[in-house]
Amino acid sequence: MAEAGIRTRLLQSLKTILAPQYILATEEQLKPFECDGLSVYRELPMLAVLPCNTGEVCSILALCHELGVPVVTRGAGTGLSAGAKPHPQGLLLVLTRLNRILGIDPDAMTARVQPGVRNLAISEAASVHGLFYAPDPSSQIACSIGGNIAENAGGVHCLKYGLTVHNVLQLHGFNARGEPVTVGSGGLDSAGFNLQPLIIGSEGMLMVVTEITVKLLPLPQEVEVMLAAFDSVDAAGQAVSDIIAAGVIPGGLEMMDNNAICAAEDYAHAGYPRDAAAILLIEIDGSPANVQEQLQATREVLKHSGATSLKVAGSPEERALYWKGRKSAFPAVGRISPDYYCMDGTIPRSALAGVLNYIDSLSREYGFAVANVFHAGDGNLHPLILFDANIEGQLEAVEEMGGRILEKCIEVGGTITGEHGVGLEKIRQMPLQFTDAEIAQFHRVKEALDPDNLLNPGKNIPLLKHCQEYRALAADIEPNRLLPRLGQGQ
Amino acid sequence: MQDSAHILQSQVNDAVTEQRALAICGGGSKQFYGRQVSHDRLDTRIHTGITEYAPTELVLTARAGTPLAEIEATLLQKDQMLGCEPPLFGEYATFGGMLAAGLSGPSRPYRAAVQDTVLGCTILNGNGEILRFGGKVMKNVAGYDVSRLMVGSLGCLGVILEATVKVVPRSPAELTVAFTIGRDKAGALVNDMRRRGLPVTADCHDGDRLLVRFSAGDKEVARLPVQLDRHYSFVDWHRYEDDAFWSQLKNHELPFFTEGRDIWRLSVPAAADISSLIGNAHDVLTEWGGCLHWLKTEASAESVFTVMDACNGHASLFRQEVRGASDQVFQPLPDWHMTWHRRLKTAFDPAGILNPGRMYAGL
Repeated sequence: MAEAGIRTRLLQSLKTILAPQYILATEEQLKPFECDGLSVYRELPMLAVLPCNTGEVCSILALCHELGVPVVTRGAGTGLSAGAKPHPQGLLLVLTRLNRILGIDPDAMTARVQPGVRNLAISEAASVHGLFYAPDPSSQIACSIGGNIAENAGGVHCLKYGLTVHNVLQLHGFNARGEPVTVGSGGLDSAGFNLQPLIIGSEGMLMVVTEITVKLLPLPQEVEVMLAAFDSVDAAGQAVSDIIAAGVIPGGLEMMDNNAICAAEDYAHAGYPRDAAAILLIEIDGSPANVQEQLQATREVLKHSGATSLKVAGSPEERALYWKGRKSAFPAVGRISPDYYCMDGTIPRSALAGVLNYIDSLSREYGFAVANVFHAGDGNLHPLILFDANIEGQLEAVEEMGGRILEKCIEVGGTITGEHGVGLEKIRQMPLQFTDAEIAQFHRVKEALDPDNLLNPGKNIPLLKHCQEYRALAADIEPNRLLPRLGQGQ
Repeated sequence: MQDSAHILQSQVNDAVTEQRALAICGGGSKQFYGRQVSHDRLDTRIHTGITEYAPTELVLTARAGTPLAEIEATLLQKDQMLGCEPPLFGEYATFGGMLAAGLSGPSRPYRAAVQDTVLGCTILNGNGEILRFGGKVMKNVAGYDVSRLMVGSLGCLGVILEATVKVVPRSPAELTVAFTIGRDKAGALVNDMRRRGLPVTADCHDGDRLLVRFSAGDKEVARLPVQLDRHYSFVDWHRYEDDAFWSQLKNHELPFFTEGRDIWRLSVPAAADISSLIGNAHDVLTEWGGCLHWLKTEASAESVFTVMDACNGHASLFRQEVRGASDQVFQPLPDWHMTWHRRLKTAFDPAGILNPGRMYAGL
């Protein structure tokens, strides 16, 4: 059937499922949905819909399956890897209206929520029971739990509390045919294969999730936040390892370099020392006795690790201010540069100094300033490359530089994405981290669960025919470096 | 320490050529678990060694045939441990067996499940390809999470060759307390203790009393009796001196497990009503804040599975002492779910040579 014919049929049938105001068809209506948080990738979908219940989602998926129309599922649209970029011949399934908290069970310490519920709203609702939902990406005020599932979102408290995958118990939803599917169970494990981790982080490519049971944790009784300054990033990096070696697992352990410190300080007035080469924000939480023991141990470590100054937040307000500086680092950098490009590699902490030096050398080579914020506790780097997209050629140069940072992450034993996902953005780096045989295995997984390739096609996993080309491009840019896995197992 | 990945690979390749099924086997400590199959053995114990251990990264990488006891001893030297507290079921348990069985110990709700500890793994799929997924870092979302899919797959999707796991610091001090309280009130008590910030790391109700283990720093543990007196004066409690209890529980060495009766493992929501299955209060051991029951019953498999379906849980016939080798070991899956299982099996093991039938017939 011709494309126009499919569009007409789809539109007619959708009108039998949804009220007309929830079917978006004109360019004007579709424009706000052309991209997610990574706005350099834009595309208008054929149509977009905003269902309000699972019955509508089910009918929409069955219809798209019948017509062979691809479906891209979208939550709040805060993703940073173009995972929710619309498909030009596809339907954009926007789940923001499925935004109800279906129930909180304080005895079981769980919450049942719909995918459009904002991440922070879960913790807010749970707080009356003295509970919270642990994963807290910086976008938590806006991002939805459905998107968190799609990307396996992290946040600043992952070292102690884990990622989304560690905090979800059960998922209900639909397969690409619109048939109901449940993974996980009401208990702490499930019968058969362990499918839940396969779904979480699959970027909406294996099923559409319409209900999530998350694990809640007791709010820590006491929280202390320390701010430690260092005159080199090496010393700050070493201090992180020393803290872990002392047996302390902080709730949060964040590092910022001087560019990030200055931008955040100008924006949030958090009390960060502008002259420091690096700061660490260390949050210790738990019972009062435990917090005091760990705080003391951390103080001792930091004294020996060469911290040039050390402050413990004296009040909840000061604590919130320290975190405000960190959590607003991205918009803060956005104020000092027309555009910035946020990278998301993860490395073993021991490789930190080498990778930061490499980023510094790239910064000079390309002429772009870089501000580094770093989930130091779990090795997740977020270099922010500052540029101006209105200057011709800068975006391409920044993407190339970003690609080289990711390749360095792979070289030192890390990964191209810690928490933002591959989407379209990092699809060219996938063949550097994975062999053709591994990528072929990913495709077979996709085919097993979505045989018609209708759910978010084209994201996350590159086509095999492009892999050699991407590897060759990477080798052209930096011919002297042998990428660690290049040429293996082809 | 021995790298035998390529020997295992050629054994899998031979099996594919000859259309011969393989039973993947490590130390054989969990041979009793799952459906019984009689294929040629693929012995992972030739592939051994801790290849990397970085205590300050909280990361350990080991080959599948490495004895778990060796890994635990190595971690102990640096005051670290596996947060999932895996059962050993004998001295020969291997690292690969821990991952393939995916069975977590008493600390599971409080520290981690086996799947939570896994950061990455290298597998041999049914095409004889050596594939690496995940990595050695805490966060990694590139591609689908095949590493954690492998956990608990009983070797039906691939031979685990090597894996990297996250480790945790050991707590300097521990205290076990026995509370005289009924099973029906035990879950709420544990829940209350957690919400007060008490460092619960294990719990078990045996029909008469609730044992709770606390793990934390020396000072915090020293203060615990005062806190228990303050908050729980309505319950009789006393310090429980038998430190071996928790390892006997996880390894099924308590008398409860050694009476020669069939034992079911029920994984359920904490508030699930399983009373229809319980004949005698001493025929159930309850862990995980009420989410895990070990049950001795002569009820039919169908009736156990029906109760589980009704309460959103699942059951497995964990020890088949009386019934002998049963076909119905694991909770039957709905049709759509079995379809996904079959398709995934084909995606990883198209010739169906890796542990076929160990989990479900035809898988």
